[in-house]
Amino acid sequence: MKALQLAFEGLGSAALALFDEAGGMALLAWRVLVGLLTLKLDWRELVRSLYKMGVQSLPIVALTAFFTGGIMVIQSGIFIRRFGAYGLLGFGAGYATLREVGPILIGLMFSGRVGANNAAELGTMTVTEQLDGLRALAIEPIGFLIVPRVVAMMIALFCLVVLGNVVAIAGGALFGKLLLNVELSSFFHSFADNLKPWDLMIGLVKAAVFGLAISITSCHFGTSVKGGAVGVGRAVNNAVVAAAVAIMISDNLITMVLR
Amino acid sequence: MIALTAVTKSFGARPLLAGVDLAIGRAETFGLIGTAGSGKSVLAKILCRLIAPDAGSVRVDAAQVGMLFQNNALFDFMTVGDNVAFPLVRQAQLHGEEIRARVAERLRAVGLAGSEEKYPNELSGGMKKRAALARAVIARPPVCIFDEPTAGLDPVTTSKIYDLLRAERDATGATVVVISSDVEALRSFAPRIGMLHDGRLRYDGDAGAIADSDDPVVRQFVRGALEGPL
Repeated sequence: MKALQLAFEGLGSAALALFDEAGGMALLAWRVLVGLLTLKLDWRELVRSLYKMGVQSLPIVALTAFFTGGIMVIQSGIFIRRFGAYGLLGFGAGYATLREVGPILIGLMFSGRVGANNAAELGTMTVTEQLDGLRALAIEPIGFLIVPRVVAMMIALFCLVVLGNVVAIAGGALFGKLLLNVELSSFFHSFADNLKPWDLMIGLVKAAVFGLAISITSCHFGTSVKGGAVGVGRAVNNAVVAAAVAIMISDNLITMVLR
Repeated sequence: MIALTAVTKSFGARPLLAGVDLAIGRAETFGLIGTAGSGKSVLAKILCRLIAPDAGSVRVDAAQVGMLFQNNALFDFMTVGDNVAFPLVRQAQLHGEEIRARVAERLRAVGLAGSEEKYPNELSGGMKKRAALARAVIARPPVCIFDEPTAGLDPVTTSKIYDLLRAERDATGATVVVISSDVEALRSFAPRIGMLHDGRLRYDGDAGAIADSDDPVVRQFVRGALEGPL
């Protein structure tokens, strides 16, 4: 009986903690929206964040995307050979990349690189009283630090997915030529003739939503750090896990709604 | 200038401030001491309007309060020059050239001339403290709160910091609250000292007489005695 009571207590406190974090994130998202609508954001911080989060992520995203395109071709190569469907290679690789694999993989890569860094940076600023320092100067951290970062992450991930898609398709075409001897022109005709703008749009909607999820989770856990260096480490961990969960849930929802 | 009446603040079940009354006049210098965790920094943040009290009233007759934080709170993504200029830039009342001149003058005053382009992580502990001090006072706030301005610094740097605080106070006539665990250094700076203990001000009076206080807690803390109620 005692064990059952403890189990229910544990379940209850876990649920409360979950709703506490979800409420904190919803509140932060609302404040960001209000800050955006009233244009209360620091433009210098926005430009700085776009460079740091977007431009500096280009090499790793391009590398990931190139090999993602290659993997699409390697995996589908078995069936392409078996059925002789060489004319469908561009369509198959493009469909999976644009709609699903591109946004998901680049989103997770972005979360690991940019989201974790953002949570650590904001967490360190919190424990070293830098956010209090801003407030003491009558500057609200939401407009000065959070809104620019949320906007920058959404724009950066959107652009990175666009670029990543291009690189992944190019990588797929190259691997198709090297491994399956599919001509580049045949690959691109298969891609262009069978895919619709909607296939690209679904991936880009996902990119924007993933960018929002990564930015809100990392900013929330970063600014609610308690307990020094250990707390910062915990915040980074929580931010990455929460972002991954949010990416998977929102991906499912978007895929179901925008099929 | 500053008036606290029956201020209380708890974190969870733990009451940190349990009815603090304090009045500090214009251009007065007040030193606040207390054991670790007694709520000194929380009181400073209440004065700075960073934390709201649970109950009681807080009145600070100043549009702007300059705060030197215990951890310096220098923005580590900005250069020292940008950090010090920050309060002036945000006020947007001065032009770029005037701001640069004021920053250079402030950095010179705290012994950091030519450090404008350095980042906080390139500075030693004492230099960070001086840069943070320059930022806290550059906009000439009428009320300045210095939280542990000499924590972790060697005696020579401690003397330099207090010299800087003295010069700043004399030049601006600001109301100054200094929180410190270094009782000796504080006694030479602040003519009036208060000791926070168990959520209340156990002593509030002449700095010269604090060592002979009737309260054994205050006496033990100031003298650093091992025997006693603490």
